[in-house]
Amino acid sequence: MKQKMKFTGILGTAAAVVAMIGILAGCATMGEKAKPTMVPTERGTVLFLDKYEFKRPPQNWALMKNLEGGDFELGFMLIERGAFPSQTTFMYDDQPYGGSQDLETRAKYYCTRFLFNSGIDLRVTKQEKVTLDGKDAIALSLEGENPNRDEKAKSKVYLVKKGNRIISFVCTQWRPMNGTYAQEPFDYFETFVQSFKFLKKDFYETLEEDLTKAGL
Amino acid sequence: MEAHNRDLYLYKRLNARVLGVSMDDPMTNKFFAESLALEFPIVSNVLGWMAKSYGSYSDKPPFGPDGSINTFGRRTVVIDKKGIVRHLKNGSPDNEEILQLLLKLEKEFRGLK
Repeated sequence: MKQKMKFTGILGTAAAVVAMIGILAGCATMGEKAKPTMVPTERGTVLFLDKYEFKRPPQNWALMKNLEGGDFELGFMLIERGAFPSQTTFMYDDQPYGGSQDLETRAKYYCTRFLFNSGIDLRVTKQEKVTLDGKDAIALSLEGENPNRDEKAKSKVYLVKKGNRIISFVCTQWRPMNGTYAQEPFDYFETFVQSFKFLKKDFYETLEEDLTKAGL
Repeated sequence: MEAHNRDLYLYKRLNARVLGVSMDDPMTNKFFAESLALEFPIVSNVLGWMAKSYGSYSDKPPFGPDGSINTFGRRTVVIDKKGIVRHLKNGSPDNEEILQLLLKLEKEFRGLK
């Protein structure tokens, strides 16, 4: 009887432990299940953290996200075939170089800072005024080389007036000096930019509303 | 510095002013400000008494491997209209945090909720 009691006790303890694990596991899956960063829509786009909607590039492009602030808000990277550095990155950057609220002035300054640390001797090959989603913008095409590091780069940049601020979309393709640039990654970038929608007011738009409400 | 430059129009609406403080000499600061197209003043405090007054000490060892001095570090200080220090933060400034604080201070100053 004593032995039977002991046996039952062990089983009882085991059952309690299993039940506890079950409850804890339930808590973990119910409470901490992370929401996907990108949620596909019926429109062929994705919702990014419920903040932006855009057409993403194919799955072989890696997502780059920056949740703690930094040089960009979100982006994608493709490692391509060929010698280093054969890759293309593109991103949405809500705080491009410079402080001017004037597009022309900002573009002029931006070109003095963009890829500066790479040592690439960058030149603007084309600059034009465009409209993106009804917003005034400047599209910059840039190319340059760094023979010392056997690297070259080709970029497309959109500086876009959004309210009182300027935001940017940037695509850069890197190649060794004897490499050939590919158009397809830039096409994905254009699709990304043309489809990009803001789903929420950003911090600055909200702040400016608060300032107006406060009579400032 | 560039982030402050971008937000100058908001600082102006909030009746706040930005002042950069550096231990570099005035000529170095002049070139630095020009290179970043800064539109706010940079004060040259070569002896570092301002950094000392505001407790802006570096978390790095006092001397770098090349013998350079690491005595002072980056610190953001917000001073209200009465001259009272209302915010101190080491490292890179968080502009969103600063702007929200300035809005709170301005509302407080105007007696708004």
